[in-house]
Amino acid sequence: MPCSLSVKFGQLHISSDLSCMGSGTLKGSRSSAKLHKMLNPQRSLSELPKMSAASQVERAVLEEEFNWLLKEEVHAVLKQLQDVLKEASRRFSMPTPGLESQLKQENFILGSSTMDQVKGVLTLQGEALTQADINLKVAKSSQVLHFQFREDKQWKLQQIQDARNHVNQALQLLNSRDESYHFKTGAEVNKLMDAVMLQLTRARNRLTTPASMTLPELATSGLMKMFTPPMPGDVMVNFYINLSKLCLTVYQLHVLPPNTTKNFKPAGSSVMHNPGAMFELNNNRFEVSHVHKVECVVPWLNDSLVFFTISLQLCQQLKDKISVFSSFWNYRPF
Amino acid sequence: MSGNNLVLPIVLWGRTAPTHCISSLLVMDDFSTIITGCHDGQICLWDMTPELGICPRAMLFGHTASITCLSKASACSDKQYIVSASESGEMCLWDVNDGRCIEFTKLACAHTGIQFYQFTIGTQREGRLLCNGHYPEILVVDATSLEVLYSLVSKISPDWISSMSIIRSHRTQEDTVVAVSVTGILKVWIITAEVSRMQDLDPVFEEESKPIYCQGCQSISFCTFTQSSLLVVCSKYWRVFDAGDYSLLCSVPSDNDQAWTGGEFIAADKVIIWTEDGCSYIYKLPASCLPASEHFRSDVGKTKEGSIPPLVYSIANRSDKQLLICPPVTRFFFGRREPFHKLLIQGDSAGRLSLWSIPDTSPLQPLSTATELQVSSTISLQEAFDKLTPVSAGIIDQLSVLPGKDEPIKVTASVYIPSQGRLVCGREDGSIILVPATQTAIVQLLQGEHMLRRGWPPHRTLRGHRNKVTCVLYPYQISPRYDQRSLVSGGVDFSVIVWDIFTGEMKHIFCVHGGEITQLIIPPENCSTRMQHCVCSVASDHSVGLLSLRERKCIMLASLDTSSPSRLSSGVRQMTTWWWDALTALSTSGRWTQGNLPKYSHNALVVQSMKTNLTDPDMHVLFFDVEAVIIQLLTEEAQRPNPTLVSPETLQKSQAGADKGGSFLANKIFKQVKETMKETIKEHLLDEDEEEEEEMRRREEKSKSLSLLEYNLTMDTAKLFMSCLHAWGLNEQLDGICLERLGMLRPHCPISFGLISRGGHMSLMLPTFKESLLSKLSLATGRKLTLSDIVGKGTYGVSRAVTTQHLLSVISLANTLMGMTNATFVGEHMKKAPAR
Repeated sequence: MPCSLSVKFGQLHISSDLSCMGSGTLKGSRSSAKLHKMLNPQRSLSELPKMSAASQVERAVLEEEFNWLLKEEVHAVLKQLQDVLKEASRRFSMPTPGLESQLKQENFILGSSTMDQVKGVLTLQGEALTQADINLKVAKSSQVLHFQFREDKQWKLQQIQDARNHVNQALQLLNSRDESYHFKTGAEVNKLMDAVMLQLTRARNRLTTPASMTLPELATSGLMKMFTPPMPGDVMVNFYINLSKLCLTVYQLHVLPPNTTKNFKPAGSSVMHNPGAMFELNNNRFEVSHVHKVECVVPWLNDSLVFFTISLQLCQQLKDKISVFSSFWNYRPF
Repeated sequence: MSGNNLVLPIVLWGRTAPTHCISSLLVMDDFSTIITGCHDGQICLWDMTPELGICPRAMLFGHTASITCLSKASACSDKQYIVSASESGEMCLWDVNDGRCIEFTKLACAHTGIQFYQFTIGTQREGRLLCNGHYPEILVVDATSLEVLYSLVSKISPDWISSMSIIRSHRTQEDTVVAVSVTGILKVWIITAEVSRMQDLDPVFEEESKPIYCQGCQSISFCTFTQSSLLVVCSKYWRVFDAGDYSLLCSVPSDNDQAWTGGEFIAADKVIIWTEDGCSYIYKLPASCLPASEHFRSDVGKTKEGSIPPLVYSIANRSDKQLLICPPVTRFFFGRREPFHKLLIQGDSAGRLSLWSIPDTSPLQPLSTATELQVSSTISLQEAFDKLTPVSAGIIDQLSVLPGKDEPIKVTASVYIPSQGRLVCGREDGSIILVPATQTAIVQLLQGEHMLRRGWPPHRTLRGHRNKVTCVLYPYQISPRYDQRSLVSGGVDFSVIVWDIFTGEMKHIFCVHGGEITQLIIPPENCSTRMQHCVCSVASDHSVGLLSLRERKCIMLASLDTSSPSRLSSGVRQMTTWWWDALTALSTSGRWTQGNLPKYSHNALVVQSMKTNLTDPDMHVLFFDVEAVIIQLLTEEAQRPNPTLVSPETLQKSQAGADKGGSFLANKIFKQVKETMKETIKEHLLDEDEEEEEEMRRREEKSKSLSLLEYNLTMDTAKLFMSCLHAWGLNEQLDGICLERLGMLRPHCPISFGLISRGGHMSLMLPTFKESLLSKLSLATGRKLTLSDIVGKGTYGVSRAVTTQHLLSVISLANTLMGMTNATFVGEHMKKAPAR
């Protein structure tokens, strides 16, 4: 049985069936003893000497296998992990100081199939939006408003930068443990995997959960001052990443008269506010009248999300492999 | 629990020191305390003598994730505050003296570095904390309220700050913040008087932004000796820059694959640099880096890599060290007042601190061969525990020491049942012990006749698991919809066992999982009626079982498909969201978090088992709610019949009767205790072959009266509590009265108390605290003291907050007891039962 174990390690989907296999001897004797045990608990205790004798040989083999795991398999997985993460990191092109302008520029057309009130053309360069072109059709007047970024301005998408930094930190953790490094304990591997997984989960979470903002925060953010012609007071925009999509939200506002009968309740923070959300800014009360959201898939963000998931799986599987053995070390007959 | 209630914790640590995998280090300015943070979120305070002896004093609980950085948070020496930050964005302000949490806050992103900065406006001094981390700014935080005041922002290529340093200039009133971003850009901010006074959130932009091409920067430090150079350490090289115009003065690559992790100036012409694997090297700087030298800045712009400056000392990591599971943390500190130590400190994953005192002079040997510096002092948490005599007590140590073995069997899972005052301890050999909590705590903490008895207190052993018990659950305690007889336990033998807690019978074994049981959870109230009588078991093979206690079968077994971590396999669709909690709890189970702080309903005593790391054995904290003790005492007093006519014996009986309202339950317990007492008297080994015989005996006993019983939970609790709190050794006459007339017991050794502060933060004294207390008191009194001399002095003098709490508790409790009739702790049971 132990040889079949090591064969199984070569494959990917091992963790759950492996832990069952690893306990094969335990299980066999136990399931037959199950009935016994229920009737007569002390009987099963007397089986212990037999079992521990059998596991002496098994233990030696397992120890050998565990050493193989630490010496060979761990490094194989780490190499694979490193390759996947390098691919992911390559997607987030890291700017070299002074050469930011040499990064590739990509244009994305943001639109929606169901409505055509808002259309945006955005240029993404690395982690920054360098150009933006927004067309907004105002429903009442059928007038089209057009805004674009000022020449001297660009908008950094913090989510992309954070994700990139987290991936690079995970890579750094892995780089310090190359083939020449000799892992001595399973705990050491687990600790490394925990650290890598923490960074990868953070990276993934940064892309999957955009920052939620309150409407006044949005209104006073630097984004509003980036456009030419300047944004009118009754329009607000927001850019963010949601999963692999680059999103643009446009809010149209109207001012609530000071003596309105409507009860005023300021909205909390949210990724996207619904029509009817209210807020107060500079002693003026506003209400969101229309919300338009358009989005476009960024292919390389999609790739990196897939890479994150694959890497997280690899990490978990490596941890599972280690835990198979740890449960054997724990098994100490009394 | 915070604030209103007066709750005092007493800790029983056991012989195994908690896992303390050090992630950050700090030495206080007066060099009397070292503070370490660990990967599991605890902070340890270590006392340090001027001779560099170190002794762990207390452990602070409250963070839910790995500690990322520590910094001092006050400038003056009369109040010593530190601030700690964790991976999950929490920030805590602690008092170093007693471990009180003064303030805490949580941000969305984690800090990786904090620097304390004192700003002076005229005579006014304001403490500020500069924080950098997983965000592109430097946040300036008020050092007392932990509020973000303003931020230092980059205009040009903003990115995460990997390291920063504050440069104080004596020439101008301006202080400069120098930082290096992850992309290797040096940023400079100037903090002027106006900036520091600013309260609104206007950002401050950088003065200068210069690429220095240092990617993967580990640390940046300013030379306080010459005030004109900066040391930047990256993993593959270290560089010295001019602090004026940031031009490169020298660059030294690392040889043979070593990764540098930090460095510091130790003199005007010397730097110490350390590596990831724990070695450190002291280099003499080349003349081009020394402002005093005529060659200063002689080769700016033509620095060539590869010229390695002479090595003065090398400090290897210990050769005999235990296997480390992650790289150690190294830091350098130097004393700015007496004693002027220059200390290199290293903390590693085994909870070990090592200190090297760096000499000012160079060795006499030729510089070609670097002299190895010997470690000045080193100790690990476990070593400090091992040195203790008597050893640190665990809650059921007296029942767990097997004949012929030194180490007691470790307690691996436990639950306290407050209504019965009993503690259920699952152990690593698969047995489960049921024991009255106060009785066993008295044995561990206090001296008395009970020390002569074997197998005291009366207990019951449940045997069924073949190996380590990983979790125990008493469902009735969480929800009354469960049978109050059932106790559920899970083990590494893949089985879940249901027990009858009153008879000790094994009711059912569930063998449905293919992995070790890691957790037992109760479904929420709002689930289907069938599920209401189930417990949910989580196993290490990523399977989750729904086990019905009533039907005695497994209703559902779901398995998490690890090849797609975000999806459960088929057949699980009907499950509600709480399953997810069960699954996500897999990773965090067993940790001390704010979420699982014990709820103090109206229990005088709550025993909470804790472990800092999943692999640790349980340690136990006894939480005494002073108010609840008093209420219970008074209730019993009121329920008592006319006190003047009652003889001591009938008093005992009526007390016992009143103790528990439900007579069914009470009788059960009394029977149980009596039974287990007999059992243990009979002999240590509970032979299961005699089960039938016992059953017979049990039936016989039923007919007998309950007059033998003298078990009173409230009085026992009060006795334990008063005995622990009394200031023994202050007044010998009083001590005598306490012992003889009142029946209080003297502790074996100073007791490890704790302090609960805001938001569920808690500080617990380590058992080793008495060692440093002993040496401190010996020094103060000028004579050699023994542990028994300082038994009652442990808590007085720690801090005003602790003293107030303890005095208040003693006074209020003593007052209550004085108002009661015939109140004495002299127990009947102690006289009657035969001593073996």
